[in-house]
Amino acid sequence: MGNTGKRKTLKKGLAAAALSLLAVFFLWVFDQIPEKEDAGRVLKILSGSENQELEGIIEACAEETGVEIQMDYQGSVDIMRQLQEGAEGYDAVWPASSIWISLGDEQHLVKHNQSISLNPVVFGIRESLARKLGFTEGEVSVEDLLRAIQEGKMSFCMTSATQSNSGASAYIGFLYALLGKQEGMTAQDLQDPKLQEKIHAFLDGVERSSGSSDWLKELFLEEDYDAMVNYECLILDANRQLAEEGKELLYVVYPYDGLSIADSPLGYVDHGEEQKEEDFLAVQEYLLSGEVQKEIEATGRRIQANGVSAENTEIFNPDWGIDTDQILSPIQMPDADILMEALNLYQTNFKKPSLNLYCLDFSGSMEGSGEEQLKEAMAQILIQENAAENFLQASAGEVNLAILFDDGIKVILRAADDSDESLKKLYEQIEEIEPSGGTDIYDAAARAYELAAGYDLDAYTPAVILMTDGKSEYHKTRFERAREKSEKEIPVFSITFGSADPSQLQELAEETGGRVFDGTEDLTEAFRSVKGYN
Amino acid sequence: MKKKVLGLILLIVVMGAIGTVSLLKQNMPKEIRVKGYLGGEKIGFLEDAEVQEILEEKYGIAADYARAGSLDMVTADLTGMDYLFPSSSTALEYYQDLHGDPRRSEILLNTPIVLYTHKMVLDAFQKQGIAEEREGVWYLDMEKLTELLEEGATWEEIGLPELYGTVSVDTTDPSRSNSGNMFSALLANVLNGGEVVTVQSLPDILPRLQKIFENLGYMETSSSDLFSQFLRMGVGAKPLIAGYESQLIEYAAENPEEWETVKGDIRMVYPTPTVWSSHVLLALDEKGDAFTDALMDEEIQELAWEKHGFRTAEYLAPSGTKTVTLVGVADSLTQITQIPTYEVMREIIENL
Repeated sequence: MGNTGKRKTLKKGLAAAALSLLAVFFLWVFDQIPEKEDAGRVLKILSGSENQELEGIIEACAEETGVEIQMDYQGSVDIMRQLQEGAEGYDAVWPASSIWISLGDEQHLVKHNQSISLNPVVFGIRESLARKLGFTEGEVSVEDLLRAIQEGKMSFCMTSATQSNSGASAYIGFLYALLGKQEGMTAQDLQDPKLQEKIHAFLDGVERSSGSSDWLKELFLEEDYDAMVNYECLILDANRQLAEEGKELLYVVYPYDGLSIADSPLGYVDHGEEQKEEDFLAVQEYLLSGEVQKEIEATGRRIQANGVSAENTEIFNPDWGIDTDQILSPIQMPDADILMEALNLYQTNFKKPSLNLYCLDFSGSMEGSGEEQLKEAMAQILIQENAAENFLQASAGEVNLAILFDDGIKVILRAADDSDESLKKLYEQIEEIEPSGGTDIYDAAARAYELAAGYDLDAYTPAVILMTDGKSEYHKTRFERAREKSEKEIPVFSITFGSADPSQLQELAEETGGRVFDGTEDLTEAFRSVKGYN
Repeated sequence: MKKKVLGLILLIVVMGAIGTVSLLKQNMPKEIRVKGYLGGEKIGFLEDAEVQEILEEKYGIAADYARAGSLDMVTADLTGMDYLFPSSSTALEYYQDLHGDPRRSEILLNTPIVLYTHKMVLDAFQKQGIAEEREGVWYLDMEKLTELLEEGATWEEIGLPELYGTVSVDTTDPSRSNSGNMFSALLANVLNGGEVVTVQSLPDILPRLQKIFENLGYMETSSSDLFSQFLRMGVGAKPLIAGYESQLIEYAAENPEEWETVKGDIRMVYPTPTVWSSHVLLALDEKGDAFTDALMDEEIQELAWEKHGFRTAEYLAPSGTKTVTLVGVADSLTQITQIPTYEVMREIIENL
């Protein structure tokens, strides 16, 4: 055999080898396909609303990691509940505090949870008022705050303790401080009449409540309140906006005996998909990297317990009462059972009673599924067994009125008192009504305002809860006249359903400091959210 | 004609390649997927890429886990689980009590209970004569610490006005997680004058132990969560916690940069006496059995110490050649107290 022959054999050999390699490569590729096929590289995160401000960072994270991140914002208690039920459909949870993971993760699904930032829950008080009350000098205790509230010198906004972590943490802090205890709250402590009297007095100072910390800040910016309890980072954010608008800033007060810190843990929810776990870890690693941590710090979130990175010192402005070198000694959360009991007591006893003015659309277009869903939603709220599952029970002294409307008022129903039976009876009365006729939301809302006038509005947290499925006749002047006569602004919370016109509802919400909720997909859920705001 | 030949060759080559690959695949050890409950403190170890590689290549094992507290896992849903890997023999006895003997159980790793604190707190303890340093290792007198806990002394009283509240040791929930459970055992023995608590002596000890734990409030269910909170949340939130020696060794090995920044402040202190946490693997089926064998691999055991801080049977006192380059790790521990019997521990768990 000559040289050429050898070369040919060699060539053939090489070609065969190359082809084999190619074949092996394809086989390998095919082997990989089933794993990658359904992994659209999407990570669905169930998150607290306070993370909304991090959207820019999260978008950059998605770009960097190639993982599409879908954030679904819910309150901490809802996140806990979702976890208890298995958090189906979510790949990760990111509540405000790890306590909600510990309480919710009964099925042992969560792993890799890591704190992304640290957020003290603080009081932000209008600077001039803080100065007048002496809160800008020295340490401030919860009793000092109570005194200011009892003397009528200060009221405040705070999220609902049963719906949102900032409210829950602050409330537990108040309880500890008012008990004069530092740790180890017991069930007996909660029954202490002295404590009950003090916490009632403290919570009487709540001007407005909310189911979401972020929304509370927005509300605060739009209206004129004395103070709010919120995460330090949201107070800083409010101050930046107030400064831009040339308005008075908030002074940050850390009650030393009732302070809590939210540790913002991001945890993976294991549903057994390896690709998801990898994606999660990539996302988490990105968020915890030094550079990104500093970007997170730049939003006013702390990334270390003491001190602040050189590049972000300006964010934590000492003129606003912030001292990052001070050691923060937070309270210890009570046991799970005690915490649940404390939350139940908040909802049913300690919080300021609600004055709920339900305006329910019973026009002809509601017939059928709309009517069914509306009645189901009312059953979830008014029948107390159902309400208790979401900490939405009626509070002591709560007033519930239902105005059923079409293009006029069909009927006005009123629960005799706050008892389980009366509320159930109210539900049964609503259940009997059949829908018919046109739609006029303004007439109903006006009636709600007029009915509210019969109550001492300072003793309640009043709210109009308006649910409608269609475009209303525009009888706005009727509503405006009723509103002018009212002593106090009552927020109109609206729930849209079917072909409701959000623009009309949005206008009402903006004017009265309310909010519009979308009930198209799940009316019950929307009603629950609204109830959480009141 | 040429094309046909080429096509034929191509076909043969491809067929050959497929044959080779499937043959290779058959010869490789079949992959065994094991899943079980794992104590949080061992996650870093099991997720270690080197450990996983040895498991896969030498033993054909792909290990997965769900995290659970050592005692929680015993009462959790065991369907589809091949193993339990808690951190104490108490969990094993608890298992035996509820379900009978597991298929097999082996102690694979050991680590002592230690205290973690911050420099300023340790300085205060030293001034109070509660803590002392010997050969670069810090020790803390458990008897004196227990006295402070029982008295309800405040941090201010021991010279730390910066800290709010009473002196306390944060632990995991003793009824759900091992490190808290072990620490409660240690406290019980100390309260009993240093003697191991028995069924007879428990009634005298229990009310005092309850009182100490009552002050702790909400307790984390996982040692790893407690430790990462300790590192993250600063001296104000977690002045003093109980954990495993392995946790800091692992943290320093895995995060050398972060360790550099915190090592000026973070202190590991050995309580005297202390207790050993024995990490025992309960194999529930054949797969769990194979997993046990694989974890006894010499290389894996070495990795367990060097990267994750678990002393193995041979490393009870780390041998001279493989010391961990971390300040403050004791070579050997002499003052050790025994965990009370399961009967006593169950009584303690039920009453805390």
